[in-house]
Amino acid sequence: MKMTATHERKSKGGLAIIKRRFVAGVTVPLLLYESLGIFVLGWAFVLIFFDYSSGRLGGPILGLGGSNPFVGLGHFIEMIKGTSVEANLFRVSLRNTLIFALAILPLNLAITLPLAWLLETIGIRFKSLYRTIYFLPVLTSSVGVALIWMSMYDSQAGWINAIIRFFGGTPVSWLSDPHAGFAGVSVAMWAVILAYLWQDYGYNMVIFIAALQGIPQELKDAALIDGASPWQVFLKITIPLIRPTMLFVCVMTMLSSFQVFDIIQVMTNGDPGNQTQVLMLDIYKNAFRYQNLGWAAAESFVLFLIVMGVTIFQMRVLRTNWEY
Amino acid sequence: MMKRKIFALIVILAFVLSACGGGSTGGKTVVRMWTTANPAFNAGYESLISAYEAGHPNVDIQLETFDYELYLQTLQTAMPAKEEADILQLFGTWTSQYYERLAPVPAEVMTVEQARETFYGAPIGGFIVDGVLYGMPQEFNMEYGGVLVNRAKFEAAGLTYPPEWQSMDDVVDTAVLLTQKDAAGMMTTAGFHFTSADPTSFSFLAGIKQRGGDYWNADHTGFTFNTPEAHAQLQWMLDVVNAGVVDPVVFNDSTNFVIDAFFQGKVGIGYIGTWAIAEGQTNFPDFADKWDYVSLPSVQGDPVFVADSGWGLTVSPNSKYQDIAWDFVKFVIAVPENAGQWNIASGTIPAIPAVAESAEIAAAMPWVPKALSILPYGEYLGNMPDRDLVVYEIIYPHILNALQGVETVDEALQAIDTEANSTFR
Repeated sequence: MKMTATHERKSKGGLAIIKRRFVAGVTVPLLLYESLGIFVLGWAFVLIFFDYSSGRLGGPILGLGGSNPFVGLGHFIEMIKGTSVEANLFRVSLRNTLIFALAILPLNLAITLPLAWLLETIGIRFKSLYRTIYFLPVLTSSVGVALIWMSMYDSQAGWINAIIRFFGGTPVSWLSDPHAGFAGVSVAMWAVILAYLWQDYGYNMVIFIAALQGIPQELKDAALIDGASPWQVFLKITIPLIRPTMLFVCVMTMLSSFQVFDIIQVMTNGDPGNQTQVLMLDIYKNAFRYQNLGWAAAESFVLFLIVMGVTIFQMRVLRTNWEY
Repeated sequence: MMKRKIFALIVILAFVLSACGGGSTGGKTVVRMWTTANPAFNAGYESLISAYEAGHPNVDIQLETFDYELYLQTLQTAMPAKEEADILQLFGTWTSQYYERLAPVPAEVMTVEQARETFYGAPIGGFIVDGVLYGMPQEFNMEYGGVLVNRAKFEAAGLTYPPEWQSMDDVVDTAVLLTQKDAAGMMTTAGFHFTSADPTSFSFLAGIKQRGGDYWNADHTGFTFNTPEAHAQLQWMLDVVNAGVVDPVVFNDSTNFVIDAFFQGKVGIGYIGTWAIAEGQTNFPDFADKWDYVSLPSVQGDPVFVADSGWGLTVSPNSKYQDIAWDFVKFVIAVPENAGQWNIASGTIPAIPAVAESAEIAAAMPWVPKALSILPYGEYLGNMPDRDLVVYEIIYPHILNALQGVETVDEALQAIDTEANSTFR
């Protein structure tokens, strides 16, 4: 069927209208959604400067002022040198968050990279099976993972203590003993670190597998022909070539470990003696349990600054200027 | 095309309006009520809602329930947005935090003076802020004064049952015989589990009072936790732990919480308020051991104790149907038969003396008459800036630290005093 020139122009004009409508239909809701996000962030930023509680009426404009007074940088000054319970808990939470994140990153890399490398060396028949097995915990809900590990750590009926008892050892209250520790870190913190690692390592492993598969085989073959050992190939060829992936993995792992919440809330809720109280848990308690929203917003801002600083540092250290 | 758009707009508006709740449907006035998701409590509410609706066929009271943590979050987001329900279940001590967002009780419903005459002092105290009444209590929340006892463990240990304790020393002596450890030295049965958050905190506060001290300053503008009476009480609690009746590392609020541990057969004497009975029976229906709830002697002198009010009902100032809401609240709480019915359903101690002393309550809850003798000694905890923060983040953690040997008694009291006073802004 042939179209006349007028029909063609109409048709093109109609298509242009449809395109414009499509673009408007997609971008307008997106912009509205984004502006909502910006509003939320803006509101949180404003709250930083107020002693704001949703239980109080406050002033006439958005409840700010009045019984929700302006405190300026008071929250940050209190965080640094205050003696209030909020300030004490903030400093403890910050320390615990740093311990958690700094323990998780190297341990995660130490497990996932060699494991991915090993999986790449085994036969194709078992590769998928092992990959699935290792990835399964990632798909499990954090609450489920927390409950499983809690039952294993149970001081009276847990099987970890059952094994210790079997060999004549002294059982440990893994999640509640404030005295037990290793390398200056409480045993409860190590217990949640282990549970978190178990749930999280499959994700990074799959990313490393993809990166390893992207390395040209010729480079490895050339190195082997030149007399390099498999270890030297791993160290001198593989590691440098997956640096962009390592950067991604380091940044994402750090981000998620700084924001750890659910697994700790379920397993210990910050106990014993606040030894596993991390920043996200402290922010949650202040915001939603104690209605201390101004303080919680200030804590969130500090967490944001830390995460941004660490991310920029990692990107500076691990960035590459080449591709293969 | 335009008609279609208008139709779509009408449909969307209908959805939005229906989602906003409240209002009038089918000729009935819909009144929304929010409570925490406590099955025993809500069973009591549902039967009273049915009774009220039968007498008021033009009213439809819709009960919406939330898990505890979610309820707190919902209140905090809904109240500033003025989207909360008409009737709100509130814990008495929360009133001092939310009173700016609550409707005062109209004088024709109940005056402050009438409320003081109607209810026990401790429960009504929580609903009065600066001399204004903001709600009515349904229960006398007692964390002090009684314990759960496991009869099977008493008999297995060859102890007299029911126990006849004259002093707390007798309790500790009994508990020592009930305590059990496994071959590796891990405590498997706590003889006297008092190291969960509420029992620990409230026995500490009661001990201060019984020793003649106070944790409030003269004008209630600050706390005085670092006193000789507080020191004596905390030292006494530490001595009880050192007697070997409970291992606070294995038995505390997050590990082997007293209700769970008792109804799993891991506790001989479990220190907890009577509210725990209904919860324990609901959560552990297969628990076969015979048990009872018995009174505890005072540490010293009269059994003076502090109580933090109890659950009750309040009304939103944003409700369009405040008159109906208050009428329902009065029907549920101030009519003795209805109040008693709810207390029996929820397993709670009545907030009204006449109801607490009734034969119906005694028949349904035999432990209540045992508590009656000490109820008049109950004093209201006081309007703290943030009760949960003071009790759960300051008093309990530092006392537990002292009991676990992480802090000394002096360090714990100093920390409690400093941190608790910092909550006054």
